[in-house]
Amino acid sequence: MKPFTYVVPKSLAEASEAGKQPNTVLKGAGVDLIDRMKERLQTPERIVNLLPLKDELAGVAVEASGELKIGATTTIAQLEQHEALANPALAGLQAAAALTASPQIRNRATVAGNILQFTRCWYVRSEAFHCLHGGRGPTCLAMTGENRYHAVLGWMDCVRVHPSNLAPPLLALDAEYSTRLGDKVRRRKFTDLFPAEPRAQTAEHTLEAGEIVTAIHVPKPAAGTRTAYCESREKLTFDWATTACAVKVVLAGGKIAAASVVLGAVAPVPLPRPKAAALLLGEAPSATLFQKVAEAAYAGASPLAHNDYKLVVGKAIVREALEQATR
Amino acid sequence: MSTPRDVEITVGYPALPGLEDRLEKRTVKPAEGDAAPWDATTKFTTIGTDVDRVDGLQKASGRAKYTYDITFPGMLQAMILRAPIAKGKLKGLELDEASRMPGIGAVVALKDLGAKVRFVGDAIAAVAGTTLNHVRDAIEKIRAEYDLEEHNVDYVVATDAPLLSATGQIEEPWAEAAELEAALKEAKVTHEATYRTEVQTHSSLETHGGVARWNGNDLEIWLSTQATFGCRGELAQACKAKGIDVGTVTLHAEFVGGGFGSKFSAGIEGLAVCLLAHAAKVPVKLMLDRFEEHTTTGNRPGCLMQARAGVDADGRIVAWDWRSFGHAGFTGSGGVSVPNYYTADAKKRTAHKDLNIDADPPRPMRAPGHPQGWFGAELFLDELATKAGIDPLQFRLKNDREAIRLDQWRFGAAKFGWDAARARKNEAGARFLTGSGLASARWGNLGGAGRGTPHGITCRIHQDGTVETRSGAQDIGVGTKTMMAIVTAEELGIPVARITAMTGHTTDPSGPASGGSTLTPSIASAVRHAAFLAKQTLVEIVAKHIGVPLSEVHCAGGKVGSGTAQLRWADACKLIGPNPIDERGKRHPNYAEKPFHASQCGAQFAEVKVDTWTGLVEVTRMFGIQDCGLVLAKKQAESQVLGAMIQGVSYALHEQRIMDKRSGRMLNGDFLRYKITGVRDLPRLECHMHSIANGHDSVGAAGLGEPPSVATAAAIGNAVFHAIGVPVRHLPITPDKVLAALASKKG
Repeated sequence: MKPFTYVVPKSLAEASEAGKQPNTVLKGAGVDLIDRMKERLQTPERIVNLLPLKDELAGVAVEASGELKIGATTTIAQLEQHEALANPALAGLQAAAALTASPQIRNRATVAGNILQFTRCWYVRSEAFHCLHGGRGPTCLAMTGENRYHAVLGWMDCVRVHPSNLAPPLLALDAEYSTRLGDKVRRRKFTDLFPAEPRAQTAEHTLEAGEIVTAIHVPKPAAGTRTAYCESREKLTFDWATTACAVKVVLAGGKIAAASVVLGAVAPVPLPRPKAAALLLGEAPSATLFQKVAEAAYAGASPLAHNDYKLVVGKAIVREALEQATR
Repeated sequence: MSTPRDVEITVGYPALPGLEDRLEKRTVKPAEGDAAPWDATTKFTTIGTDVDRVDGLQKASGRAKYTYDITFPGMLQAMILRAPIAKGKLKGLELDEASRMPGIGAVVALKDLGAKVRFVGDAIAAVAGTTLNHVRDAIEKIRAEYDLEEHNVDYVVATDAPLLSATGQIEEPWAEAAELEAALKEAKVTHEATYRTEVQTHSSLETHGGVARWNGNDLEIWLSTQATFGCRGELAQACKAKGIDVGTVTLHAEFVGGGFGSKFSAGIEGLAVCLLAHAAKVPVKLMLDRFEEHTTTGNRPGCLMQARAGVDADGRIVAWDWRSFGHAGFTGSGGVSVPNYYTADAKKRTAHKDLNIDADPPRPMRAPGHPQGWFGAELFLDELATKAGIDPLQFRLKNDREAIRLDQWRFGAAKFGWDAARARKNEAGARFLTGSGLASARWGNLGGAGRGTPHGITCRIHQDGTVETRSGAQDIGVGTKTMMAIVTAEELGIPVARITAMTGHTTDPSGPASGGSTLTPSIASAVRHAAFLAKQTLVEIVAKHIGVPLSEVHCAGGKVGSGTAQLRWADACKLIGPNPIDERGKRHPNYAEKPFHASQCGAQFAEVKVDTWTGLVEVTRMFGIQDCGLVLAKKQAESQVLGAMIQGVSYALHEQRIMDKRSGRMLNGDFLRYKITGVRDLPRLECHMHSIANGHDSVGAAGLGEPPSVATAAAIGNAVFHAIGVPVRHLPITPDKVLAALASKKG
């Protein structure tokens, strides 16, 4: 690890100012950052530690409006165990938190860190490989290399997948996020956090230098809302999803009145599938319907040489999530 | 001293529940001065009981110091520069700039100009400096240039690999074998299929490496190794070959974080740390990182295997043809073993060919060649049995020629509930399918006395009543220290708590490498012999003290004395004085008489649940029965068996090295993408230790490291076949392969 300056800010404004400096990283738990720094994949000159700003950034609270506010540096374990999540409408978010990594990591890693994390692509994460997303080569190496864990949907010139498992349920819940950039406070739709055109040379997220995610807001769910989150893996202990799906359904009189379907781990961004979700509207839950939705969720997929299994598995996971949410 | 005499002993084992005794009388001739043999009639107080690992608290509390933990004031840290290319020649190597970098104490070249580079990770040079950060900065300043050659890291497309069909079946014609082919033609049912396994890395938790310190010409080295004496000799010679005048070499490996066969040699990292410490004239530490560990310290090679065989109307195997193509690295063997006890009466043939690729060569790994071969052979047998309409257990009972395992099959099947498990039908259209499978295990080793100097053990009894038992051989984590303490306690008739066992310092008596499951059988009777001699000396002291003839004094049950003149152990030891009793026991050769059982048998049973939607296989329960001669340390023996089953689940379902073909570099050389089974992936595991009196030396221990690791993946493969009705013939059984198998069934 190369030497660096460690900045402990006293306020959000100070943190944001420090974060604007060149070659500076805003650090949550640092779970992944430290690994990449040890391998010199990332060599920041300055690290701004956000963890001390607990009052501004940490904690889960239900606001007077019924909206759920999740502080950016809330740990994943704190989120999972918060009483507000013991609610069928938030079951998907709780499941995603519970499935994340290992207990040790959940006790340390932050909610925003999970959402903003760097892709797990084994080419871009190795100093030996020079690819476009890493800014060191002309092309995506995974596209024509070993790509069993890579994208099957929504990829352009880079087939990385977005690894966050909290992002899909938050998107399904129509969450919003607040940021602080200098003095500027903004609140936007969660979809704005991810690039609309996820190219090799775009980052995993749309934040500007020095922009700090301060909180995530989950609107009060409508009566009858249920969510679920499921992921496929190769092993059950500490693994990355090969495919993931978060769904939301609002049931009224046995029919689905509102729905969303969001895929994870199959595209460079967490991927809402509104056309698939629309098939659910006005329908009663059934295995046939879910099969149709699963097919639609993967419509237009272009698998790579080693990952067409993801289509079969991914559709199964969509069905499973829908079954769980309507059970 | 007693003279050689005939001793009648009882060998074999009392009945496993529901079965019959297998006990036999045998006459053996123990060597002069050796303890009389333990046998099936011996009543033990400590052996075979549950004794906690003697160093468990040290390990759990961090007081146990592994090589990784060794440090000295002024010690330098070191790293190796690794070749980024898979094949070529080293054309240029410029080290000057690196050696002028701040904090750098030494830089050494590890490869000569013009020498071949054989794989990504081949060692080029090593650097020592104040911190790893300084070293890394300096490594980046080394300019190494290469002449590139074309490489191949995929053995399936090696130039001499067999032709494969689109579905992965070997299509190469079989070499002619008239009798065998005639037997196949006559067989009632025949079957032919191809199997495949992938590379598994050893993944020892402690990586390879060492800490070296020179005192003039004398070298002291702490090394993470499974062969203390072998590495001592290797390093002395290697340093000499580099022009260093080597005096003595003392090696320490008191605690070792696993080896699994990858740590017999000190390797290039062992030599590098010695050279760096010599050049820097201060202690140097060099431990590999995880990527180096995955990519430069060997592996269990992958292989392609094909069988064709036939059974007669009675379900007996009459023809067996087997060939394997092993995945070597740029050198080394990808050898594959197959069970031979099912095919005793068959016309048979086995053939093997190694395929070289431009990658890190294999090293022995826990039962080299066996888990892969057993996976192929046992799955093939289940496919054949299914074709012939015979239950897999009945098929084994008909064909297995090892009497001990026949008992184990019957006992294990009853314990596992085999018949009920096989009779249970999955509901039509069910998402989750359950299935059960079994497989056999075999290994063969009863240890030996050692080449040249026999393996020795020091036993010291101190005046405070404590006892030391010491071996210069290593405990790589399996419980050797505990075994030594147990055997010593049994021989002396005192509690284990009085005994301190020490391993891993070459200043203690020599012992074998931890390999081939030979360590325990090779030193257990030496441990006993040392304690036996120390006991005799104590008895002499006590006899003199109480004035009783020597022959009337006994040491047992925590007392030493004769008749009513008994001294408690602690009081007897007070007579010893400040210099402890210090005896050197040795490993006598195995008795000339045939042992009851010259190898080890085992059987394992597995139940799986397959998610037909996602292809995920979950092993839900496993049962294993395993013999290893006399079971000395029961808890540690069970840990060996359960640990092997855990490693086997991982091999069956998860582990595989994934290479980038263009660069020849491993892509998953970490613990995130190189997947090792975790707690939530594990089944309910149970095992039964099948203790057998073998009568081959005074203790009768057989090895246990390898045998339980042979059957697991095979049993799981068979269970998956039973669950989904089609075999998955390629390890690891990942979701994509299960889904492809299910699709092939529909199609």
